[in-house]
Amino acid sequence: MAKKARRQVAASNGAKPKLTKADVKTLQSIRAMADGVVKMAERSRAPHLEVPSRALSNVKYNKSKKFIEMGNGTNKRELFNLSQAKSYMQTMLVGSGCKQLIEQNKTTSIRGMYYLLKHTIDGAKEETFDSQGDCDPIIEDLEVTLDSLREELHLYASNRGNMMGDLTLVDSGVELNCARVGRNGYSIPSIVEPNVLDFVAHNCKFILHVEKDTVFTRFVEDEFWKKHKCLLTHGSGQPPRGVRRMLNRLHSELKLPIYCLLDNDPWGYYIYSVIKQGSINLAYESKRMAIPDAKFMGLRSIDFERCDLSPSVTIKLSDTDVKRANQIRKYPWFENKKPWQKEIDTMLKNGFKLEVEALISKDISYVTEEYVPARLAERDFLD
Amino acid sequence: MATRSTKTRNSTPRANDEVEASENGAESKNGASRNGTPKRKAVTAESMAASQRDISVSEFFAKNRHLLGFDNPRKALLTTVKEAVDNSLDACEEASILPEIWVHIESTGNNRYKIGIQDNGPGIMKKQIPLIFGKLLYGSKFHRLRMSRGQQGIGISAAGMYGMLTTGKPVKIISKISIRKPSHYYELQIDTKKNRPEILNGKGDGEDIPPGEKGHNYLEKHEIEWVTHYDAPDGEKADEVRSGTRVTIELEGRFHRGRGSVDDYLEQTAIANPHVTLHYLDPEGNKKTYPRSTDKLPVEPKEIKPHPYGVELGRLVSMLKESQATTLSAFLTTSFSRVTNAVARRICEEAKLSTRASTTRIGRQQADALYQAIQNTKISNPSTDCISPIGEECLLKGLYTVVPGEFFVAATRPPSVYRGNPFQIEVALAFGAANEAKKVTREALVQLLNESDARTLRQFIVTTFDGLGPDAADRILKVAEMGTRLSPGKLKAKDIDRLHDAMRNVNLSEGQSMQVLRYANRVPLQFQPAGCAITQAVINTNWRPYGLSQSRGSLPSGPVTIMVHMASVWVPFTSESKEAVASYPEIQKELRLAFQTIGRKLGMYLNRRKKVKQEGERRNVFLRYLGEVATAVSDINEVDRDGLYDQLLKVAQRKTAEADAKFDKRGRRVEKDTDFGDNVIIVEQESPDLKADDDSGESIPVKSQRTFL
Repeated sequence: MAKKARRQVAASNGAKPKLTKADVKTLQSIRAMADGVVKMAERSRAPHLEVPSRALSNVKYNKSKKFIEMGNGTNKRELFNLSQAKSYMQTMLVGSGCKQLIEQNKTTSIRGMYYLLKHTIDGAKEETFDSQGDCDPIIEDLEVTLDSLREELHLYASNRGNMMGDLTLVDSGVELNCARVGRNGYSIPSIVEPNVLDFVAHNCKFILHVEKDTVFTRFVEDEFWKKHKCLLTHGSGQPPRGVRRMLNRLHSELKLPIYCLLDNDPWGYYIYSVIKQGSINLAYESKRMAIPDAKFMGLRSIDFERCDLSPSVTIKLSDTDVKRANQIRKYPWFENKKPWQKEIDTMLKNGFKLEVEALISKDISYVTEEYVPARLAERDFLD
Repeated sequence: MATRSTKTRNSTPRANDEVEASENGAESKNGASRNGTPKRKAVTAESMAASQRDISVSEFFAKNRHLLGFDNPRKALLTTVKEAVDNSLDACEEASILPEIWVHIESTGNNRYKIGIQDNGPGIMKKQIPLIFGKLLYGSKFHRLRMSRGQQGIGISAAGMYGMLTTGKPVKIISKISIRKPSHYYELQIDTKKNRPEILNGKGDGEDIPPGEKGHNYLEKHEIEWVTHYDAPDGEKADEVRSGTRVTIELEGRFHRGRGSVDDYLEQTAIANPHVTLHYLDPEGNKKTYPRSTDKLPVEPKEIKPHPYGVELGRLVSMLKESQATTLSAFLTTSFSRVTNAVARRICEEAKLSTRASTTRIGRQQADALYQAIQNTKISNPSTDCISPIGEECLLKGLYTVVPGEFFVAATRPPSVYRGNPFQIEVALAFGAANEAKKVTREALVQLLNESDARTLRQFIVTTFDGLGPDAADRILKVAEMGTRLSPGKLKAKDIDRLHDAMRNVNLSEGQSMQVLRYANRVPLQFQPAGCAITQAVINTNWRPYGLSQSRGSLPSGPVTIMVHMASVWVPFTSESKEAVASYPEIQKELRLAFQTIGRKLGMYLNRRKKVKQEGERRNVFLRYLGEVATAVSDINEVDRDGLYDQLLKVAQRKTAEADAKFDKRGRRVEKDTDFGDNVIIVEQESPDLKADDDSGESIPVKSQRTFL
């Protein structure tokens, strides 16, 4: 791999593509990292990297900005430390991979990066990366270490999440309307930065974000977006960065309020929390992605009684569910919100969770025709 | 089973000639009128009595030859060699002669082999020769308590009898007691009916061969085999063999190699008897000599009187009858070891008998009381100078020269006693021995395949190679891509190649089970491992804490060879063929303690080895990643990759050295090594994987105790 990489670099030197300003900056920081290693080695010092910590301990909830921010804490990643040697090596590899991408002005998915760098280490029966799961956190580490965004490293995550509604936008020079791109709606790309994607016009009053595509399809089929003049989005569970950035831009640029319709379980709560405050893992992205004004519409733990649901559609809370619920309850951004504490308490007291799909047991279109309109009318949201 | 009485003064021929046939002429009360099937002829007590008669020992053993180790042709050949060699060694040691033994096996066709075994022992008096070789249960060793290889006096005569039965050829014996006196030559047959020797040559009187040059010519002329001179270095005059005995037996047998073969037996004998020189000539004409590694004879074991605890009631009664002592007290003190006047008095008090009671007047009841009293009286253990252990040093030496390995340890237990018989356990262990299956040459493999009587290939591997279990066999065959049930005899040349490759390449140390070499009084035991107390004790010892893996109820696995020697005045064999030691709790206990002693040391070694290996691996982690890091960095900023790699490597080495050195309180470096105690050999191994990786020429020291973190 080493040799291969060098050859490609050499080849690309011939026809140098034009680099943007951002690319030059990123290249400089990658190079600075590599120079650091050389300097350390020359002075007979053990090389190390300062990687900002992406753990709960290093995030702070900024009460005035109302989102999660990353602290100043860093982890030392040393080459001569048994437990860190491999990830140190991997970080350097990812750096060299990104350099290659930028110089050739190409982008690849994080999966592509994994394959680009995966090879057997010389003289050992060991792979540089065992799985993509090995590679992804390293990429995130590099993002924070170099203070560069993923797209600046010419990487993107796989597409997930769709959007449907009367919104006209320009995506890489192509103008399209999100209501006229088929039943599945517009597939939200993973990079939606202003230079690639721009909004043109819209006829929407709010955004309804749902958890999964089953519910999304229900809303599309019932033409909910037409009736209520809204933009429908879903993120296939935990929304990827593209969806979150898109929601953030729609909210901040088009001033659309966001309502979330998620499952009534700890995972649903956390999806809402990520949309609203940002995630712990990607706290450094919060300022671009968090939407502190997002509202939680449902499902609520009181809905079992409020909607008169049958006990057979409930799912018993597992031990992990309970554990997770208690964790979430203690997050600073949930801790001081009484309605949320009550909400979680009720769920734990119920001893079961509810999926949005449970509403189908009442009537196939119950969720679009009664549940959501009722909540909108009552303006009954959790904040 | 020595039958050979040497010139010991006190050996008088008094073995029972015949085993008493049970209840001669027993009457059956109503034997006459039995109304069974009408046609059947009634048998009367009278007519039965006509067919009831004595059974001679030789007849009994001729029919039950398996009891003596002659169950199949393969074993018969080995047993014959073994009996003769054991006798020779006993004779030489008793006469304080450094033993030199010649073993010649010659094929005479038709599955017949002529086995000649000669020693340089004291020789046998003319009168005794026919009795020793031509009469079962005749010997010098049965009636005394002293450590020796032979015991009963059956072995060699039984071998001769077996030869006679299968080939019809007589046993030929030539014996020389002095360089100046004539040697005697006999051709003997055993009259099995009467258990009596029949002399065939010299008109029933044997032949006398004059000493000196004349005798050598006579031997040549009459084609009598005898090694006249010792081997001597070129140009030097060879010494003449001054005395000795040679027995030649022709028998039907099968010569084979591998487990339980003559080769194996001689090799193992050489391990346990470093003072013996063995010359071996196999049927294919290959000569092999195991030279002695020490000139010191083992300490001569003393003969002891029986210990009171080891005597049963019946024996006690007969001893009372035979005793020449008149008073009970005198009887006790003279017939037993460790019985002083005070002890005798205590026994008598306990038995409520007078110390001055006459031995002839002691009846059954009093004898019983006496017996109980003995059991209840505290008597010190018998003296242990009647056994002579091999010694830890010799054990280690023997094992080290024969078994390859990286770690050797030996331990000798203090003597102990079972049923009044002193015994001593010695063990030695070799770790890291490559299995012999790995070393086998292709030619040897072909030969082994042809000789094997195993029906399947799997069985062949398991039975031919020590320490290979079914697991290992399956792995080998899997690698060779051969079926487990193929017949070993029908392999094509190509298949043999594959099998050979597989045997060399498969990592056998995992599926390999511990190889147990068993010895009793320096004689290797080669059969019935499962029924032997030694094997059982190995299995019952928990080896897991010592770093070996072991499944329940089986031998531990790993590249381990363990050698166990039981020395005793009377080794309790499970049968006359002397293949397995009977399991007495005292013996089991001593074995276990011995295993634990060496196990602990093995555990220490394995721990250290594991640690060193782990550290080597850890270090390799850095070395591996260094290359990748250097490449990635040079890809990014185009620095010289190899230069950077070397710099990083230096940093790594400096870091490693710092962390490797242990510091004492004052900051000085200390070298700490595990203390294994005495009698341990460690063959330092180079760490192969580190070497492969480190191409800079400067290696990180292997002998380190910890790594940095």
